[in-house]
Amino acid sequence: MGLELSSPYLILRGYLYIMKNKIWEIFLFIGPSLLLLLVFTVLPVITSLFLSITDFNAYSFLDWSKTKIIWFQNFIDVLHDDLFWKAVLNTFYAFILAYPLTIFFSLLFAFLLNREETYFKNFFRLLIYLPSVTSTIAIAVVWSWILNPKYGLLNWFLGLFGLPPQEWLSDTRWAMFVVVSLVVWKAIGPNMLLFIAGLQGIPEELYESAEIDGANRWQQFWYITLPGLRPVLLFVSVMLGIGYLQLFEEPYMLTGGGPLNSTLSIVLYLYQKGFRAFEFGYASSVALILFVMIFGLTYIQMKMRVFQD
Amino acid sequence: MRRNLLIIMILLIILSSFSLSQVKTIKIWAMGEEAKNLNIMAEKFTKETGIKVDVQPLPWTAAFSKILTGVAGRQVPDLAMMGTTWMAPFSAMGAFEDLGSYIAKSKVVKPENFFAGSWETVVYNNKVYGVPWYVDVRVLYYRTDMLKEVGYNKAPDTWDELYDAIKKLSQKYGVGKTGIGLSPTEAANFMPFVWQNGGDIIDKNKNILVKNPEFIEALEFYSRFFKENLVAKGGANVFVDFESGLLPMFFSGPWMVSMIKEQVPKITGKWTVSIMPKKKTRTSFVGGSNWVIFKDSKNKKEAWSFIEFMTRSENQLEWYKILRSLPALREVWNRPELSNDPITRVFREQLDDAKSTPIVPEWDKIETALGRRVEEVCLGNRDVKEGVELLYKDLQKILRK
Repeated sequence: MGLELSSPYLILRGYLYIMKNKIWEIFLFIGPSLLLLLVFTVLPVITSLFLSITDFNAYSFLDWSKTKIIWFQNFIDVLHDDLFWKAVLNTFYAFILAYPLTIFFSLLFAFLLNREETYFKNFFRLLIYLPSVTSTIAIAVVWSWILNPKYGLLNWFLGLFGLPPQEWLSDTRWAMFVVVSLVVWKAIGPNMLLFIAGLQGIPEELYESAEIDGANRWQQFWYITLPGLRPVLLFVSVMLGIGYLQLFEEPYMLTGGGPLNSTLSIVLYLYQKGFRAFEFGYASSVALILFVMIFGLTYIQMKMRVFQD
Repeated sequence: MRRNLLIIMILLIILSSFSLSQVKTIKIWAMGEEAKNLNIMAEKFTKETGIKVDVQPLPWTAAFSKILTGVAGRQVPDLAMMGTTWMAPFSAMGAFEDLGSYIAKSKVVKPENFFAGSWETVVYNNKVYGVPWYVDVRVLYYRTDMLKEVGYNKAPDTWDELYDAIKKLSQKYGVGKTGIGLSPTEAANFMPFVWQNGGDIIDKNKNILVKNPEFIEALEFYSRFFKENLVAKGGANVFVDFESGLLPMFFSGPWMVSMIKEQVPKITGKWTVSIMPKKKTRTSFVGGSNWVIFKDSKNKKEAWSFIEFMTRSENQLEWYKILRSLPALREVWNRPELSNDPITRVFREQLDDAKSTPIVPEWDKIETALGRRVEEVCLGNRDVKEGVELLYKDLQKILRK
């Protein structure tokens, strides 16, 4: 079926048919999603781009004429804003901490679940995947109780070993660790699935012949598994980079950016500026700067040799 | 049988839509406990006038942005309850109906019948955009039994006594096991200390006053509780902690009275309220809520009649009985229900020495900046002088524009 459809003859015939008769039928099918994309993604992006050069704020809501175009003043202000730089620092700190941890754990669990000797595979797969499909709000509420300094499970557990209780969410030393561990915990599931798919895509024969040639486990991993996983690794890294630089839900729900702005991420700062203080112009320029950062990071990852054949 | 049912259903739908079109409905946005109890008054109003009332509750934390997006998208109710500190920004935006002409004609709403401090919050640029509903003023809540244990038969009367009482409690129960309730990011919690010391954050001409010794001294006193670990930390919620003794003293408004009685009845008789401890004055924060009508409302006349209804003294009294909200109307205070209640008397006394945070459109940003710097001094390692210096720069930036 797939072969027949892709045969040049059919494609040509279909193409001619569309050209000759009813081109609008295509739009009948892709139209709705195109429209949604246009209204809810493309339009806001363009609006945001425009807003970033204006001083659009709460007072402009009812009277648009109060808005002035101020060109790059917003960007200059953002770059002189110490809270913005603190948010950048926090975000990259979280990224540097969470990125290797996520890759390590999802790869580890993928290996374990891909072994033939592992029992209850489906059960464990479900267990590891579950956090990522649970709503962050529910998770945050449950965790904030687990982490409660006086009544929380975690401090009780530490107490069994004689360790002193910690103020997990209101201590600047711990808050970011808590946020990061929650993020990693949530991200392991889907990335593990991707790695499992990648592992299963590596032909079994390669391992068999390597074994005959006398390669040990480590060599098999290094020369067969890792090269075989490169496309998946690239995909996971890029997606993690994009996702982690947009860190928002976890600090928003757990700490609100506190204590002392130690968990304030770029997007959370953007949110506060945009939807609390209603300085949309300012927030839009923060968004644009974040876009450039993500673009840069993704570009570097694409160019990195680890991911290339 | 089935057909009959269908006919009845259709008839019912027609009938109900018919009756709906006859009755006007006003939509109200309200917050917090007020929203939960407003229906009692609304039913009474409907009985009297035939106008239906639809109360939509908003959580306090989300209310400001909800109202703002409502204003921007022109999806607003007819009237809303509005925190006094939010009056200025929305008035400046032009979201509210100017009530001047309504008040001129009204027999019920007369400016001179309200507390002057409360009426000030509805005026912006010499125009009246609201009518005060209730006032609230912060006082000291404390556990009488615990304070007695460290030799205080009365509430701490001065700043020194306040510090001394909590210090002694923490020595008795152990450091970190008990403490005073302070929230540095909340201006209503911190600013009274500045006022009590004779200072302020900005004056009427928007001059910045944070570098004055009065402000600095207040911040030093306030942050001292944090530095010496005398602030209650890591509890469950105010009520549980008030009962357990983790939080024997905190500052809050009149709404807490009935809530404490309801939530932790076990400690009834073991707590009371007192006016603020004295430095130069005992000034506290006065807030409250006003009624406003939105410019985009289509039922302004009906909305105004609801405001008049809520302003009548018997209804102000009834509202006081429901939630213990303090009436904004002065004459209600002479009623025995209020003047004979020992707790309400404390609030009345405090009302004579209370002020509102400055009514300027930039207040939201000022409060954010203030909260950030006060928190840095209290919980971070920032020096008081340095924190004040940074706050001064923040305020300059905010007020320059």
